[in-house]
Formats: sequence, C-alpha cells, structure tokens
Amino acid sequence: MHINRKEVLRDPWFVAGLCLALAFGFVALLGPALAPYDPWNMGFEPIASPDSRHLLGVNDGGQDILSELLYAVRNTVAFGLLSGLAALGLGVAAGLAAGWYGGPVDAFLMRLADVLLAVPAVMVLILAAALFRPEPWVLALLLAVFAWPTISKTIRAQTLSLRTSLHVKAAVRMGASGRYILRRHLLPEMFPLYLIGFAAKARMAMFMEASLAFLGLFDPSRKSLGMMISYALKFYYMDIWWHWLMPPVLCLSLLIMGVTFLAVGLEKVLDPRLRTVTGEPV
Amino acid sequence: MTLTVDRLRVIYRDGDHGILALDEVSLVLEPGRCLALVGESGSGKTTLGMACMGLLPESAEVRGRILLSGQELDTADEAAMNRVRWSDLSMVFQNGAANLNPLHRIVDQVAEPLIHQGNMGRRPALDRAAEALVSVGLEPHLHRRYPHQLSGGQVQRALLAMAGVLDPAVLILDEPTSALDALSKGIVARVIREAVARGKAVLLITHDLEFAVHQADHMAVLYLGQVLETLPPEDLLSRPLHPYTLALGRSYPSMDTVRDLGGIRGDAFYRLVHRHGTENGEHSVHSHIQIPGSSHRDGHAPPTGCLFQNRCTQAVPACSSGRIPLEEVEGHGVRCLRHGIVNLMELHNVTKAYDNVPAVKGVDLEIKAGEILALVGETGSGKTTLAMTAAGALRQDQGQRFFDGQDMDGWIARDYRSLARRVGVIYQNPSESVSHRFTVFDAVAEPLRIHGFGKNRSERTDQVRRVLSDVHLSTDPAFLERYPHELNMGAIQRVCLARALVLSPVFLAADEPTSSLDPSVQAKVMKLLLELQTERGLTMLFVTHDIGLARKISDRIAVMLAGRIVELGPASAIMKDPRHPYTRLLLESASGRHVEPRIGESDAGDVDGCAFAPRCPSRLDRCLTERPLLQPQSGRKVACHASGPAE
Repeated sequence: MHINRKEVLRDPWFVAGLCLALAFGFVALLGPALAPYDPWNMGFEPIASPDSRHLLGVNDGGQDILSELLYAVRNTVAFGLLSGLAALGLGVAAGLAAGWYGGPVDAFLMRLADVLLAVPAVMVLILAAALFRPEPWVLALLLAVFAWPTISKTIRAQTLSLRTSLHVKAAVRMGASGRYILRRHLLPEMFPLYLIGFAAKARMAMFMEASLAFLGLFDPSRKSLGMMISYALKFYYMDIWWHWLMPPVLCLSLLIMGVTFLAVGLEKVLDPRLRTVTGEPV
Repeated sequence: MTLTVDRLRVIYRDGDHGILALDEVSLVLEPGRCLALVGESGSGKTTLGMACMGLLPESAEVRGRILLSGQELDTADEAAMNRVRWSDLSMVFQNGAANLNPLHRIVDQVAEPLIHQGNMGRRPALDRAAEALVSVGLEPHLHRRYPHQLSGGQVQRALLAMAGVLDPAVLILDEPTSALDALSKGIVARVIREAVARGKAVLLITHDLEFAVHQADHMAVLYLGQVLETLPPEDLLSRPLHPYTLALGRSYPSMDTVRDLGGIRGDAFYRLVHRHGTENGEHSVHSHIQIPGSSHRDGHAPPTGCLFQNRCTQAVPACSSGRIPLEEVEGHGVRCLRHGIVNLMELHNVTKAYDNVPAVKGVDLEIKAGEILALVGETGSGKTTLAMTAAGALRQDQGQRFFDGQDMDGWIARDYRSLARRVGVIYQNPSESVSHRFTVFDAVAEPLRIHGFGKNRSERTDQVRRVLSDVHLSTDPAFLERYPHELNMGAIQRVCLARALVLSPVFLAADEPTSSLDPSVQAKVMKLLLELQTERGLTMLFVTHDIGLARKISDRIAVMLAGRIVELGPASAIMKDPRHPYTRLLLESASGRHVEPRIGESDAGDVDGCAFAPRCPSRLDRCLTERPLLQPQSGRKVACHASGPAE
C-alpha cells in the first residue's frame, strides 16, 4: 500500500487535520523549550492581563498562562496517544482473534467486551483516581481497558466478513498461512478502522483527561487543560475569559478536531475505492 | 503375403551426425487388412514406406529387417528389389506429379509396369492400363494426356491405378488423399476396400485421421520415428490411450468435433544422432533431440526417455530416463510409462451439504490428464461446490478424492501447499477474488509470496512479467502498479488467470470465468484460455451454465442437475444427440428457443425419483419413485429411465 502524496495533499480534510496535528505535536514535543517561563514559578503578579512579557497573562497563582498551556497540551496529547494506542492494540487483537478463530474464543472475548461496555468508564476512572491517586499513565491504560470493546466489535465484524471474502478464501486455498493472511489481507484491509478507532479513543481519552483534571482528580501541580479551565472558571466574573479560559478550551477543541480530520482524510486516501481515479481504465 | 517390419531403424547420415527417422519400428501388415500409419509430418511415416520399397537414398542407414512372407528383403540389392516392386509390393507416392515422367502419356506410364514386370505385350498392357484408369474414375479422354495436363487429383488417381495395375499383394499408400477433395477420396476408399477384400495387405500412410479411421482395420501412431500407440481405428478419436494420440485427435478437424481445434503444445523436433565412441558403426544411444529453430522455450529435450515428454500433459520425472516399451493396455499397444492417459482427478461418491442442504449428492467423476471437462447445469445444481471440492478448496462430507493417483485428503493433511501449487483456481467474480488493496503486481505475486518463490522483489517481478505476457497483458511498471478496480473486466480476469497460472499448476478449476464478461471480451478470454491450456498442457474443469460455451471448449461435458451428474460424455456426442431430457432442455434454451417449463407437482427436496421428473416431458411413472443411475449408453453415460437403450 502506498500513499499518493499529491493526492493526499489535495484533500482539505487531511491538510487541515495534518496542520493541526503537526502544530499540536510540535507543541507537545517542544513545549518545555518553547515555554517562556517555568510554569510552576509563582513569582509573577497574579491575575495580570496579557502584556509583552506574559502573552496570555498570569493566573491567580502568579504563573505564566502561556507556559502552563504549553505543558498542559503536552500532557493531554501524551495521555490521549497512550490511551488511544493501548485501546487500539487491545481492540484489534481481541477483534481479530474473535473474528478469525470464532467459537469459544469469540464468545469469551465478546462477552467480556459486553461487560466492559456496560461499566461506565468515567465512574471507574473517577473512583480509581480518587482512591489510589495513580500516575496519569496508569489512568490512561485503565481507560484503554474500558475503551477497546467498541474497536474490537468493529474489527471482529470486519474480520468475519473478510474471512468469507473471496480474496481471503483464494489466498487460503493457495495455501497461505495464518500469518500471511493477517499481514497481507486482514491488517491492511482494516487500516481505516484503526484510524477511526484510534481517533475516537484518543479523542475520548483527551477529553477524559481534561475532565478528570477539571474535577481535580490529578495531582494539582500537574499541568492540564482541564485543570486550567477549572481554575479559570473560578474567576469567570472577571475579564479573564479571553486570555485564560479561552486558550485551553480552544486548544482542547482544536486538538480533537485535528485528530478527527486527519483520520477522515487518511481514510479517504487509504481506501483505493474512495479515491478519484486518475487516467483511463486499461 | 505378409509384410513384416522388424525393429527398423533408419538414420539419414550427414557427415558425423544424422537424423534418426525411424527408431526400432516393428509392424506386421497382414493379408486382407489395412493398417493405417498416422502422425505429424516428420514422424517418419513416408520413410517407413520408402524403406519397404527399398527406395531410401544412399545416405540412409537402415538397420532391422523387412520381411515379405517370411523372406528377408535385401533393400540394398536393386535387382532383388526390382523383382518384387510393382508385382508384390507397390506404393502410391506422395506429391503425385513429381513421380510421373512428364514426357510420357499417363496411360503409357500405367502400362509400363505391366510390360516390364508383367511380361505383357504392349497392346494388352495398354488395354489393362486403360481399364485400371477407368476404375479409378479417369475417363478415357484423359488417358492420352501428359501429367501436366491433369489436375493434382487426377494425377493422384493415375498413380493409384499404376500401383494396383499388377495386382500386388502389398499396397503402400502414402498420403493418397492429401491432394483429393472429399468426393474423390471415395475412390481411394473404394480401392482400399477392394484390395482388402481380395486379401491384399494395405499400408495407409496418412494424416487424414477420419479417413484412416474409416478405412483401416488397425492403426499405428508414429511420433519421431517411434510407434507410440497401436489401436483399433474406432478408438482413435473417442478413446485414445496415449496423450499424443489424444492431442493429435484434438488437432484434427473432424466432422464430429464441436470443440475448437486444440493443437499440441510445443513443436515437433527431429532427432539428431552423433557418432562418437562407436564401434562397428553402432550409434551412440545419446541421441539429441534437436529443436528446429530455437523458439521452443524448453530448449533441448533430454536425450533419453519418452520422446513426447516435453509436449506431454502428464509427464513425470521418470519419463525422462530409459527406453519406454510398447505395452499392451486395454487392447491398445501404448508406449507410455504411465500406461496411457491417466486420470488426473478422480472423485468417488462425493457428497457435500451446507447445513443439511445438500449441494452435491454422490458424484463420481474422472478428469483425464490434458482434457477440458465442462460442468454444465442450471444455477443451484452444485457445479461450483463440486468444482471447489475437486480443487481442494472445500472438503466433501463423504466420498473420496484422488489427485494424480494419490488420495487428496491424505495429501491435504500431510502437505497442503504442495497440492495447492498444482491446482489453480479461477473464480466467478474476478474483481472480488483479488484484494482491492492489491496492485496488479501484488495480485499476481501473491501465490509466489505465499509459497516463498522468488527470493526478492526483482525475481518475483520477472516471474510476474512472464506470466502477464503469457496472458497478453502489459508488463510495464506503470501497469504493475495499477489497481484491479481501475481495469476493465477482461483485464481483471486476465490478471486472475495470471495469478492462477503463476505457480505453473497442472490442474485448473475455472468457475464461470467469463460469465461476467460481454461476448467479445469473453471470446478473447476463452481463446486465451484454450491457447494456454494447449501450451501448458493443463487439465481443466470448466464450470459454466452456458452449454454453448462448453461446446466450443470442452472435450467432455458433464451435465449436472440437483447435485448429481445426469449425462456425461464426449462433447461431440452430447451436442449431436443429447440423451437426457434435461440436456435437451439446456441445449434448446441455449439455442435461444423459448422453452415453456412444465410446472410439476413437486420440484423441491430430495425426492426418491429423478430430480428432473416434475419438469420432464417424457416422464415415466417410475421416474417419480425410482432414481435412475448413470448407465453407459451410446458412447456416454446417462441417468434416465426414459432414454435407456430400446428394450
């Protein structure tokens, strides 16, 4: 499978998603280097409006909001990526196993998925965060445990339909091994599903991270978009919304939009049937 | 008189090497019998005739014996040969006019043997010659003409008269009909019949198979100077046992053939022998089989073993060593290591159901190596299930399958991949059988990848290019990177064909490969398929609902109805005279005639009787209660109570 660069770059969804993702990825990677100040430094004049030294002003604790924002984006992106990837890995593995092997494997994995789907992940996470105060990455993985079932359901359905599709049957008849089928047929065939699943779960995880932070369930010194919103909201009556409340809200929204657009654009490109055919048929 | 040819070996010498024209040919020409010698040109047919007449050129080295009534003929002794020529042994030569003296009138030439050999006076000799000419249909006004004033056919008949004028005991006819139209052939046939009736021995050398079938009492098939099969003439087209005989019959435009002409894969060679390390002029056994030109991709054939191995559809490694003897098989003499044409695929009582819905109900089917068997029938008759079971893609519920003589299920359990390599499958829906994420290259290279053939991409690319050019597709890099959905249906089906052939299988199961194509594309794909079948010596199971298509491509047809075969036999026989009412219905529907289906009381379920009974126009009472079994009948097998042999 190859990606036609020119074609991809003509797709507005992809380009928009790519720009946003690159921007946030850049910020996430280089956040500490970009930040003008130490975000934990409380030495500035609290609740100051933006000026040339503090582009987004200073919060109530005397911390530079821009520096805080840069660190917060980094944390949120990392949480989303980790949780999304873990959920994707679990979901794809479970879905493939259930769909390919069928029988008891399928029954067990899918009942497990049903049970997990019935449990409200938010509650579990809130309880876990409140009771055990775990590291954020533990929470990200815990979220993934509750997030994989929806991915595995779609992967399983697709595997089932692929298993009976003629091209897989043809390859099996040719004597292909399970590994070959997995590598050449199943995994590439479902690429759009991974992107969609990953995007959905990463989105959810970022939102969840923001929510948990908003509820104050993380270490208060950990910078987070949710926590910033939560603090900013305490001062809603003051004229801070545009430089304190708005930046984390915008960042969170754009981050989630970027991930979504990228998935939509890639899906169009990677599924040759959705591509515009160039040139004459042979 | 009996003419016996005993281990005759003829080599045309040219310096240190020579062409081996006849290799230990033994034949017996009995009085009152006509032996036909058939084979491609270059097989040594004429050399044999000339050798019997002692007319081989100086450069020919002759070994072995030729006996006339037990007396050995010394073919080198001109005087001795002259005594038997014309009177005991005569020959009608090929290329008529070249054998007559252009300066003499034909009647004089026909009278010549009478005068010189028969010690007859000139006048009576001329009278006898005139009689002989009239008896072959040459009117008296033609008798005094010169050879160049006669047509080719008339010259041929004059030669026939000349050969028979001294009433020889042995008559050798070399291609007597090649210059004749169909009506004039009748005269040759009459001459042969009369000679045989009068106790003469006739050797008919011809490539006109149908003529030979009708005139001869016995036949020998010659290939590169070796007799590959001796057989009764009626079996030549219908039941050959040697793959070469089958291929020869398939190349011949017989009036009964409905299939398109097939030809024989590869080219005929001639055999070069070298004299090295020889004693007493003994020829080295290490004769080379030389290919004229070098267009043949197989290059030089191995010098030992079966001569036909490179063109054979069932050659095994053992075929390339030793000397294969002529063996007695089912009344034929067959020079084949595998004792004649083998069944590449055998199904015994194969039954298959999907969730208790029976699809195939106890089918016995044999597919011979090198043949195309068409499986026809309406939708839901179990054709695809049967074909996929034969291809090893499905597993039967009951019954046994054999591939190349080995139990297929055991083979699958032991080493499925080696079986899978030998079987190619083409699916009904070409665009679905290739992953839409695959490019043309990926699709064709997939079998290579699965079987680990080709170490790297460039090696695989070479193989892919080769097979793509075999199926007449482009091989340029841009095409290799196209996706199937960008191609038209004909091209996709060719890609699928290339995919099926890239591992060089011996058996191809094609499930409605052209039903999704429009007629012009279908015609091209079918022609390609037939060409590949011939060139690669494939055995094919061709599933189609189109009996008209089956007619053009298959050697045999199996008609399937509700999971059972109801008629099975040579395509020509079934087309000419369908015996099962269902086959007749299929044929009538195929010819575009509107067939009003007879609505029966019950058309569903596995009834006891014939599945066609409810719709059958010639139904008998017992058809509803008693299932007819496949019974041999006029050259095929039919399962029908109503069409049984007249009682």
